[in-house]
Amino acid sequence: MSARVGTYLAAPVMAFLIALCVTPLLILFAYSFFRVDFVAISYDPSFANYAKIAGSATYRGLILKAFGSGALVAAITAVIGYPVAWFIAKRAGAMKSALLTLLLVPLYSGDLVRVFAWRVLLGAEGVINRSLIWAGVTDAPIQGLLFSPLATHIALTYNYLPFMVIGLWLAFESLDDAWLEAAADLGAKGPSRFARVVLPLTSPGLIAGGLMVFVMVVGDYLTPQLLGGASGITVISAINDLFGTAFDWPLGSAIAWTMLAILMAFFALGAVLIRRSSLVGGA
Amino acid sequence: MPLLRARALCKTYGTVQAVRGVNFRLDENSYVTLLGPSGCGKTSILRMIGGFEEVSSGLLELDGAKLNDVAASARPVNTVFQSYALFPHLSVLENVGFGLRYKGVGRAAIREKARAALETVQMGAMADRRPRQLSGGQQQRVALARAIVNEPRLLLLDEPLSALDRRMRKDMQIELKDLQRRLKMTFLHVTHDQEEAFALSDRIVVMRDGIIEQQGAPDAIYRRPETAYVADFIGGAACVPGRIASQAAEGYRIETALGQFAAPGVAGLRPGAEAVLCLRPEQLRIDPEGPIAARVTHVVYRGAEWLVELEAAGVALALTTAHDAIPEIGADLRLGFDPAQVWIARAETGEAAQ
Repeated sequence: MSARVGTYLAAPVMAFLIALCVTPLLILFAYSFFRVDFVAISYDPSFANYAKIAGSATYRGLILKAFGSGALVAAITAVIGYPVAWFIAKRAGAMKSALLTLLLVPLYSGDLVRVFAWRVLLGAEGVINRSLIWAGVTDAPIQGLLFSPLATHIALTYNYLPFMVIGLWLAFESLDDAWLEAAADLGAKGPSRFARVVLPLTSPGLIAGGLMVFVMVVGDYLTPQLLGGASGITVISAINDLFGTAFDWPLGSAIAWTMLAILMAFFALGAVLIRRSSLVGGA
Repeated sequence: MPLLRARALCKTYGTVQAVRGVNFRLDENSYVTLLGPSGCGKTSILRMIGGFEEVSSGLLELDGAKLNDVAASARPVNTVFQSYALFPHLSVLENVGFGLRYKGVGRAAIREKARAALETVQMGAMADRRPRQLSGGQQQRVALARAIVNEPRLLLLDEPLSALDRRMRKDMQIELKDLQRRLKMTFLHVTHDQEEAFALSDRIVVMRDGIIEQQGAPDAIYRRPETAYVADFIGGAACVPGRIASQAAEGYRIETALGQFAAPGVAGLRPGAEAVLCLRPEQLRIDPEGPIAARVTHVVYRGAEWLVELEAAGVALALTTAHDAIPEIGADLRLGFDPAQVWIARAETGEAAQ
C-alpha cells in the first residue's frame, strides 16, 4: 500500500525528468540519423552522420583529444588528490571541516571568474611572468604560459581537483588505520603498503572521483576556449559550431551521441569495477 | 639473555603519561600477559614493541639490540590486532601469505606455507573465503595464522579474545596456550581479564596507571600479592587496613580494626608500617568461635556457590558458601580464617616491584 503511494508521489518527479531530460536527448538521438539538405533538414534516416564521424580524421582527433584530456586531468588530480585527501581524513583533526570548506570555496565562484583569474596569473603581463622577469629568470615573458594546452590543463586540474579529493577523502575516511599497521607489521614498507593496501581499499573513491573529473573535463567548453588559444578547439566547440554557425543539427547530434555513448560505457565500466572491488556488497 | 628487555620505558601523549618508566623482560619460549584495567598503559607498551608508537623515553632491546628506532616493517615481531585487521580485499589465503613476500619466499612456497599455517589454526577449509564471510572466532584464527606464518621472534596479542563470546574465549585460551607450546615462540598477550591471564601465562605483569605493580608467575601473584591493589584486582580479596605491630615467626603481627592477627606477608615491612590484611572470599568461613563479628549486607547467587557480602567494624568483607548454608541479610555472624593461608601486603601501590 505505502509502496504504491510512494510510486504515485514519485510520478511528478519522473514526469519532470522524462520531459526535460530524457526527451531532448531522444530528439537529439533521432536527429542524428537525419541529414541536412541545403538549409532544410531532410527526414530520411541513415547512418551517414556516424559514418562521417568515423571517416573524418578531424572529428576522430577531436573526440580522442577530449577523452585524452579527461584521462590526463583525472590522472593528475589523482596524484595531487591522494596526499591531500589522506591529510584531510587522517591528519587534519579539528581542521577537517575548515579544510573541506576551503576545498569547495572556489566552486562557489563562477567558472568565468576562475578562468579569468588564471589569465591574470599566466598572461604575458601576468603575475608569474612578471615575477620571473623581476627575479631575472627570463628576460622576456614566456608566451607559452597562456593560450596553450598547458594553460588549459592547469586550469582544468584546478577546477576539478575538489571532486577527486572529495571522492578519495570519503574512501580514506572508511580506511581503518589498523590495516596499515597490519601491513607494516607484516613487513610492508611505505610504497608496498600503498600499492597493496591503500590503493585497492580506496579504489572506489578513486574510480568515482576519476569518473567525475573525466566527464566534466570532457564536457568543459569554457576553459579551453578562453585559455587554450589556438588549441582551444574541442569536440564540444565543434558541436556548438555545427548547431549554431553551420546549422548541421544532425551531424552535431551524432557527435553528441557518440560522446554520450562512450561516456556511458566508461560509467558502466566504473560501476563494474567498484562492484568487483569487494568493498561494496561482497559475501 | 632475555628475548626482550624494556628499561625505564615511557610513553607520553601530550601531557598524559600513559607509561611511566617500566622495566621488564621476556624470556624465550614463554607466554607472558600484560594485565591491567583499561587505560593502565598495557596497550601502549604493546604498540611500542610492535613499532606503531614511538618510544617517548627509555630503551627497548630485542635479542640485545636496540629496537627503539627500527621501523615496524623491519622488526621480527608480529601482531594479532584487537580488531583482527584482516585485509577485506584479499582472500583468507592471501591475507595469511601477505607478509611472506617480504621474506623472500617464492610464490609457490608462499601458498604452501600459508596453507600450512591455516591448517595449524584449523582454518584450512576457509582458504578461499573473504574475511567478511567469517565469524569473529574464525577471523581471530586467520589473524593468528597471518602472524605466526612469519615465524616472528615475538608474537604480540592485543586483547585478542575480547570480541569473542565466553565459551569461544575459553576454547581459544586453551588453543593459544597449546599453540605457544608447539611453536616454542614467545607470546606477549595484553588483557584486562585476570582469568585469561591465569589460564595462559607463564608470567604475569600486573599494571596500573602506567606502572608495573607486580610481575611474576601466576601462582606467586595470586598467593603472594605485594600490594593491596594486586590482592584486590587479582583475587578479589578484601584488604583490611592496619599497621604492622611486630615481626613474628609466621611473618608479621598486624593490628587492624578487626583485631590483631599473625600471618605471612610480603618481605620488607617494618613495625609501624601501614599494611593490609588480604582476606579472599574463599579463605573466610562462618565460624561461631571465630574472632570477627560481622553483619550480612548482601547475598548473591553465583551458580556453583553463594557470595555473602558482610560488614565488620566498617570493613567490607565477602565469603563464598555452599547452597545449604545461606545466611539471611542482616544476620549477625562470627567469621574465622586460617591465619597461615592469608597474606599481608603493602598498603601503598607503587613502582614497588622490580
